Amino acid sequence: MSFDPQHIRNFCIIAHVDHGKSTLADRLLEKTGTVEARQMRDQILDDLELERQRGITIKARAVAMHYEHEGELYELNLIDTPGHVDFQYEVSRSLACCEGAILVVDAVQGVEAQTVANAFLAMDNELAIIPVINKIDLRAARVDEVLQEMQHSLGIDPKEVLLVSAKTGQGVDQLLQAVVTRLPPPAGDPQGPLQAMVFDSHYDEYRGAVVYVRLMSGRIEVGQKVRFLKAGVTHEVAELGKFRPRMTAFPALETGEVGYLIANIKSLDQVHIGDTVTSVQQPAPALPGYRRPKRMVYCGLYPADGQEFNELREALEKLSINDPSFEFVPETSDALGPGFRCGFLGLLHMEIIQQRLEREADLDLVQTAPNVIYEIVTRSGEVIEVHRPQEVPDAGQIAEFRQPMVRVSMIVPSEAIGSVMKLCQDRRGEPQSTEYLSPTRAMLIYHMPLAEVIYDLHDKLKSVTRGYGTMDYEFIGYAPADLVRVDILVNGKRVDALSFICHRSDAERRGRAVVKKLKNELDRHLFEIAVQAAIGSRVIARETVPALRKNVTAKCYGGDITRKRKLWAKQREGKKRLKSIGNVDISQRAFMAVLESGSES
Amino acid sequence: MSAMESPPQAELHAPAGPRVLPQVRGWLPEPAWRADISSVYVHIPFCRHRCGYCSFTVAAGRDDLVPPFLEAIARELALWPLGPPLKTLYWGGGTPSHISLQAADQLAAELFHRFPADGLVEWTVEANPSDVTDEWCRQMAQRGVTRISLGVQSFDEGKLRFLERDHTGRTAREAARAVHRAGLVLSVDLIFAVPGESLSLWKHDLQEACSLEPHHLSTYALTWEPGTRFYAALKKGRVTAVAEDQEAQMYEWAIEYLQDRGWQQYEVSNFALSGYRCRHNELYWTGGNYLGFGPGAASHRRGYRWMNHRSLWNYLRRLRSGQSPIAEWEVLSPESMARERLVFGLRRCDGVDRRWFAVQTGFELEPFLAPVYDLWLAWGLLEDDGQSVRLTRRGLMVSDAILPELL
Ligand SMILES: Nc1nc2c(ncn2[C@@H]2O[C@H](COP(=O)(O)OP(=O)(O)OP(=O)(O)O)[C@@H](O)[C@H]2O)c(=O)[nH]1
Ligand code: SF4
Ligand SMILES: [Mg+2]
Repeated sequence: MSFDPQHIRNFCIIAHVDHGKSTLADRLLEKTGTVEARQMRDQILDDLELERQRGITIKARAVAMHYEHEGELYELNLIDTPGHVDFQYEVSRSLACCEGAILVVDAVQGVEAQTVANAFLAMDNELAIIPVINKIDLRAARVDEVLQEMQHSLGIDPKEVLLVSAKTGQGVDQLLQAVVTRLPPPAGDPQGPLQAMVFDSHYDEYRGAVVYVRLMSGRIEVGQKVRFLKAGVTHEVAELGKFRPRMTAFPALETGEVGYLIANIKSLDQVHIGDTVTSVQQPAPALPGYRRPKRMVYCGLYPADGQEFNELREALEKLSINDPSFEFVPETSDALGPGFRCGFLGLLHMEIIQQRLEREADLDLVQTAPNVIYEIVTRSGEVIEVHRPQEVPDAGQIAEFRQPMVRVSMIVPSEAIGSVMKLCQDRRGEPQSTEYLSPTRAMLIYHMPLAEVIYDLHDKLKSVTRGYGTMDYEFIGYAPADLVRVDILVNGKRVDALSFICHRSDAERRGRAVVKKLKNELDRHLFEIAVQAAIGSRVIARETVPALRKNVTAKCYGGDITRKRKLWAKQREGKKRLKSIGNVDISQRAFMAVLESGSES
Repeated sequence: MSAMESPPQAELHAPAGPRVLPQVRGWLPEPAWRADISSVYVHIPFCRHRCGYCSFTVAAGRDDLVPPFLEAIARELALWPLGPPLKTLYWGGGTPSHISLQAADQLAAELFHRFPADGLVEWTVEANPSDVTDEWCRQMAQRGVTRISLGVQSFDEGKLRFLERDHTGRTAREAARAVHRAGLVLSVDLIFAVPGESLSLWKHDLQEACSLEPHHLSTYALTWEPGTRFYAALKKGRVTAVAEDQEAQMYEWAIEYLQDRGWQQYEVSNFALSGYRCRHNELYWTGGNYLGFGPGAASHRRGYRWMNHRSLWNYLRRLRSGQSPIAEWEVLSPESMARERLVFGLRRCDGVDRRWFAVQTGFELEPFLAPVYDLWLAWGLLEDDGQSVRLTRRGLMVSDAILPELL
């Protein structure tokens, strides 16, 4: 069955994390009969194992529903998006495929940082917005205040706001009607040349790449030869279909429709998100593509057991097939051996990838402290990108050290404003504005180094606001700062994996913390060990591990001999596997402990 | 290591018949059971109660198991061919002094039936001070015991209580005098680095011990063995071990104090007046041959090492049903055996004599030492007088950290 554009509505649901997008999607699927009641389960679109486990949406989903309104049948294409900042780019991609958005606000939590960010994103994309207050079934719901907050922060007319409960289904019928009546049908010429936007993809073991498309104009049929403009390749369409919510084959897709395309594409490398698909005979111009998501956070990932390097590479390759948003390149650390430097969209993204690696590939990983990408202008005027602290040249060669800055918006309870401002000041934030959304809640905007944000801002914000504060950030550019590289030395030898970059005035405090931690983790050796933190050749912190004084088995009689010999032989083997730096054996455990403490110091 | 479980033949002969076919044949490789071993250890696993730090094979408060134990030992002994006359005999435990004189007599009779006692030069019996009276000492001496190893541990009431010992400082002093009166060689065991113990308390213990004029002294740093109550308490943080530096200080002080008084330290924890080293124990450290009887007892003959089941119940059950008491055995290659001799020899203060080493092992010492030799000399861990090499005091103190490199 195909629909003319007048009977199609493409929309997404946007909200702050946990405000109920996926649950609302469940209700829509149910009311439209897309999913039978007995197959229904909570957040049915969140089918990644990690999504179900964490209760959050990580990947955007598309689903086609049928809905009868005033005797006519409509196709409603819903795109569910993640709410977490790290996956913001998924939201922008989805927005480009839609004419409208349902903006969900939690009736208890009210407007939060990503509500604002996502709403503005939708407005910038000129989407029609249906504002919704969800969870009105909750006793703590404070609908009037939230209406006020929406008006203040987003300029939304309270009269336009629909009240729903995704849990009980209350208000969902009105919402479906609003989707048809308030959202515009897709524009675009059904008779025109084929022009489809690639907005996502996933890899299917048997069928190869599954490309998610939204038809902007024209139609596409099975068997047709199509061209991917950006990739510069031509493929024959093997299968077309829609998500209902499972993949269901259709012979053709029409203007305005959302669906998938399979064309015997062997690797996701060949699928560029934002690419334009057009017909070979009658080509259309390319659509404006998306910006590739920017990797904000880098860290080193090393197999805890050096033998597992190849396993780790395979696992990373496998993961990146379905998540092209993270990247990895091999690197070697003196301290940790061979491993990979990986780039992520943010901290949550990093954590998720690490978990998936450990679970799906059964690998033990050592992860170095996360860092951002710095820019250095050398004395010779060259600009270099620094992905890891070891790459920072000597101070003498640096003309300017720049770091990525972000605009952070935080929505916090009014009584916490003081402590949040203090927090931001400590994190080198520059205040931009403060605005009251309601008598009890305010929005604070700061410009801040990204490094400070990823360091611990989110956790600290949660703790000073007793869990009520929310934040969002966007990259605004690079700015020069007084930054230094701090090295950690063990008996005078630099432990590369422990170097870090920080603001000069923090160097001593953080250097001391790392040095202390490392001291406690090192076993006593036959000689004294100096553990130092240094900027260039200047030592800023020092601890000493005294030499081993006594380690001798007191009793060694008949049966002890065999036992001891075996134990010592094992010890000897174990020692071979330790990393030795400046004659000092450092266990993997010691590295981990120091790296883990990185975010506390 | 391979474990020999059920033997091919299970029938067991009556204990102590003369010419019994040695059953051990099926349970150990042949070279292990040759009848040329003249040193025997007997493990007597009975104690009044179990001390919290103890990980030995012990059945505390189960005196009812003494008769079955004697029966089992008799069966175990009967597995062996008639041996050569014994030179050294060691009764350890547990608390050998805890069993009755009759029981001790029965055990000795079985033993000497298999291993003639005529040539015995050293017979040590471990004893708990509370068991030691003049009468007991006299009886022991009469039977041929030459040496009593007295588990004094401390003279301080608080420390003794902490260690869960059942005697007092006074009992210990009286027991020592009784041993002297019977004309037996006296060895005293002490424990140091007990939680809360100060250096001065330790000095006091050692001075008291010396005042009893023993011939031999063993000073053991308290060890936290997995499986003991002490170990569990340590892991749960209910007690704190003495800090490494303080323990080192106590140990060094003891070495110096004793040396100043004419004692010879001849092994990590052992000191003797001239001529009073424990010969039996020296066998352990020099790669000598010895047989062990009783639960958990270990034996060695020329690179073959084996050990009995540790649980008393297992040990009893297996012997009663004609199964092997041996839990595991292994054979070391000549090279591994040589390395072992070197490593354990270096825990002795005489060190390792080059000529002795070559004769005993068939290998030159140099290649084994070469990888560490220069470094250890340079760091003052090793001494070499051209004839033998030995660890320095400092080397001995950190020997667990360095000896593995020789294996
Ligand atoms: N009481 C009540 N709870 C709701 C309602 N809607 C959603 N929830 C609950 O709110 C929590 C979050 O719901 P989700 O649908 O996973 O939220 P989400 O916006 O998709 O979250 P992300 O995808 O992680 O951003 C779940 O525990 C839901 O059961 C509602 O109307 N009433
Ligand atoms: S007396 Fe000796 S063998 Fe018996 S439990 Fe105490 S420490 Fe262990
Ligand atoms: Mg969701």
